[in-house]
Amino acid sequence: MRGYTAFVKKEILESIRTYKLLIVVAAFFIFGMMSPLMAKLMPEIFSKLATEGMIITIPEPTAIDSYTQFFKNLTQMGLVVLVLVFSGILSTEYSKGTLINVLTKGLSRHAVILAKYTVYLGLWTVSLAVSFLTAYGYTEYLFKQDGIVNLLFSVFCLWIFGAFLLSIFLFTATLIKSNYGSMLLTVMVIGLLFIMNIIPMLQKYNPVALISNNVIMLTSPYDLSNIYVSMIITGIFTIGFLCSSLLVFKKKSI
Amino acid sequence: MEKFVEYLPFLIPILVVEFALALAALVHIVRHPNYRFGNKVMWVVIVLLIQIIGPIIYFLLGKGEE
Repeated sequence: MRGYTAFVKKEILESIRTYKLLIVVAAFFIFGMMSPLMAKLMPEIFSKLATEGMIITIPEPTAIDSYTQFFKNLTQMGLVVLVLVFSGILSTEYSKGTLINVLTKGLSRHAVILAKYTVYLGLWTVSLAVSFLTAYGYTEYLFKQDGIVNLLFSVFCLWIFGAFLLSIFLFTATLIKSNYGSMLLTVMVIGLLFIMNIIPMLQKYNPVALISNNVIMLTSPYDLSNIYVSMIITGIFTIGFLCSSLLVFKKKSI
Repeated sequence: MEKFVEYLPFLIPILVVEFALALAALVHIVRHPNYRFGNKVMWVVIVLLIQIIGPIIYFLLGKGEE
């Protein structure tokens, strides 16, 4: 336990010193801010595009448009930024050999993996919170937020998917020593999930459901029980990946 | 001018984030003059001229090992 807390402190310090914290929070803040702004400016942008003899009619933007932009930004660019920034999660430790000293001094290997997962999950939570609060604040400022339901639940779904992504990433990082290899494998797993999403029967159980239904949830009285199945399965997979990365890392030569 | 005032609440935070990132990157470039590739002048130009993306690229790709 002492090893775990010490390693958590080391990871937090590292994410500050390598500017990871700054980058992630700044990027997510900008995502959160751009979304309401883009929704607001969209009619103006299109009206500039319209040339003579061409009429583009766009309904007055609402808070829903703002959140559509928000979830679109975060589920695409946001997750890409997350994977890019966290890409060196274990590979820099392998290549620099910084783990050898602490592991031979008696730090348990489980503590390393768990501490890393905790810190990166915390970083994801903070950045998502920053992004959501900015988006919420500016949407409040620009639009009327009537009739929006399940907003927090929708963001929570996104958070769970992020946690799932991080666990996959940690698992692939324990499997493959190189930075790009583990990134590629993660992308392949996510790609596979998206391909599986084509089959209608599996859609309900697919973790991708957590990031594809965010906007629908907000408007109509959406049946949330559809999401619970996918949520539970994603949770099980997250824990599964975490456990397997513990097992793999235990046997790994560093 | 009216438009400008309307979007002021957006412009100010963006400017703050931009300058914070650029400043952090600039200080890092000057203090740690060893990069994965490129030289000091190139990175200073990138960080100062490409807003937001420049500093992020520097921290992710250009920052050398200690």
